[in-house]
Amino acid sequence: MENSGKEEYKIQSFDIETQQLLKTALKEPSTVDLEKVANVIVDQSLKDQVFSKEAGRICYTIVQAEAKQNNANVFRRNLLNRLQQEFKNREETRGRSLQEWVCYVTFICNVFDYLKVNNMPMMALVHPVYDCLFRLGQPDSLQNEEEVDCLVLQLHRIGDQLEKMNVQRMDELFFLLRDGFLLQEGLGSLARLLLLEVLEFRAGGWRLSDTAQKYYYSEVSD
Amino acid sequence: MSFRNSLRHQEQRTSDDSRKGPSRWSHCRKRGADGSLRPHDADPSVLDDGDRDQPRHADSRPASFTTPESDGPLPRCADWGSEVEKDELRTDVRRDMQRYRRRILVNDFSERERKTSSGSSDSRDSPIPTEMETDEAVLMRRQKQINYGKNTIAYDRYIREVPKHLRQPGVHPRTPNKFKKYSRRSWDQQIKLWRVKLHAWDPPAQEGSDLQAIEEIDLDDIMETESGASSSTESGTSSHYLKVVKAPSSTPEDSCSGTPNKVMRIGSEIEGSFDLEACLNEVKENGNWLTS
Repeated sequence: MENSGKEEYKIQSFDIETQQLLKTALKEPSTVDLEKVANVIVDQSLKDQVFSKEAGRICYTIVQAEAKQNNANVFRRNLLNRLQQEFKNREETRGRSLQEWVCYVTFICNVFDYLKVNNMPMMALVHPVYDCLFRLGQPDSLQNEEEVDCLVLQLHRIGDQLEKMNVQRMDELFFLLRDGFLLQEGLGSLARLLLLEVLEFRAGGWRLSDTAQKYYYSEVSD
Repeated sequence: MSFRNSLRHQEQRTSDDSRKGPSRWSHCRKRGADGSLRPHDADPSVLDDGDRDQPRHADSRPASFTTPESDGPLPRCADWGSEVEKDELRTDVRRDMQRYRRRILVNDFSERERKTSSGSSDSRDSPIPTEMETDEAVLMRRQKQINYGKNTIAYDRYIREVPKHLRQPGVHPRTPNKFKKYSRRSWDQQIKLWRVKLHAWDPPAQEGSDLQAIEEIDLDDIMETESGASSSTESGTSSHYLKVVKAPSSTPEDSCSGTPNKVMRIGSEIEGSFDLEACLNEVKENGNWLTS
C-alpha cells in the first residue's frame, strides 16, 4: 500500500516527514494543519513539473476526506486562496522563472480538472484558467516551446470542459492561436506543429481523427 | 463583456487586475475603507506589483476578474475560497429545490387519491408549489443557517441516536423547512429554537475544561428535579432547556451537557460528566457559553 500510495499521488519527491503529513491528510484531514498541507502541495507543484501534472488528484482526495470526516472544507479554501495569490503574481512569476509559471498553469488546470463542486467544475476558476491560457498564447510566450507545450497540454486535458463553461472565451483563444500559427514570425517548427495539432483537435470536437492521430503520433515511440 | 476585454488587454502593461490594493475606483475616494485619508499623490496606475509590500486594509478587495456570471456586478466575495463555497451553496440549493418540487408533486398526486377515498386533507407538509419560497438568496441564507446547525457534534449524535422513523414531533428537534414561506423573524426564531433543542445532544463536557467548574452529578437527579426546576424561579429559558433534557431519556449520558459545544465534529467523543450548576449558570451569564 505504501508504494502504490506514493505512486498514485506522486509524493516520492517530498521528504519523509512531509510524505507522512500528506498521508495523514489523506486519511484524517482534521487532525493536521490543512493550511500547511495546502501550502506544501502548492509549493511543490511550482517546483516539480511531474507533481504539478497530477497534484490535483491528491487535492481531490483530501477535499473528499475532509468533507466526509467533518463536513468541512478548510483545505479547499486554503488551497484556492493560495492559488489565487499565485495567480495575482503570475506575471512576476513568469518573469522570474518560466518553469515555475508553466508549473503553475499546469497545476491550476489540474485542480480545475479534479476538484468539482456538485459534479460541476468550479466556476471561480474558469476565468483565471482562461487568463492563463491567453497569456500562454501571447506572441512572446509562443516563442518558448515550454509555454506552447504547456498550452496545448492543458487544452487537451480540460479544453472540452472549459469550453462548456464559456464558449466565447474559447473561441477568442483560438482566434489568438490561429493568428499565432499563421502570422507569428520566429515561431519554431515544433511550436507550429503543436499549434496545428491543437487546432485540429478542437475542430474535431476535442478529439483527434484517426488520420490526424496517425500523422502526429505514429512515429512517437512512447 | 467589453469591459472585461479591455481589462484583459491591460494585463500586459500592468497587473492591475491582480493588484492587491484598494479597488479600482479607490483613487476617486478621499478616504480608504478604514476611514483614513488617502495620500493625495497616490497614482492609481502605479498600483501594480510594487504595492505588494504595503500593508493591506482590513477589507481591501482586489479587483475581481473572476466573475463567472458574465455581465453582472462584481461579486462581493472576491476570494476564490468563498466564491466556491457560495457556488456550492447555490448549486446545493438548486438541487434541493428540484427534489422538493418533485416531492410535492408526488405528494399532491397521492393526496388527491387519498382525498377522494377518505376525504381528509393534510396541507401541513406539502405547501402548494406557488407558495413555495424560491428566492435563491433567501434559500441560500437559510441553508447556511441550517448548515451551521448540522455541522455540530450535537446534530451528529442526534441523527445517530434517533433514526427518522422514531422521531416524535415536539419531542425531537426538526430541521425547519427552508422552502416554506416564512417571515424573516419567524424563520430566524425557528432556527434558534431548533438549535437550542439540538443542544440536548451535546457531548458531555470535558474534565478540566476551562469553561466552567465541573461537578459530578448523577443524571437521575436531573430527571427527578425536572419537574421541580420547571416551577423554579429561573427564567423561562432554563426550564425550557431542562425540559428538553428529558427527551432522550433512553441514554442519559448523551443528553444535556454542562457547556453546550458548538464545536465542529472532530470525529472523537468527548467524555465527561454532567454539570447542572453550569446549566443554570448559563441563564445568568448568557453570553458566556455562546462565545466560548
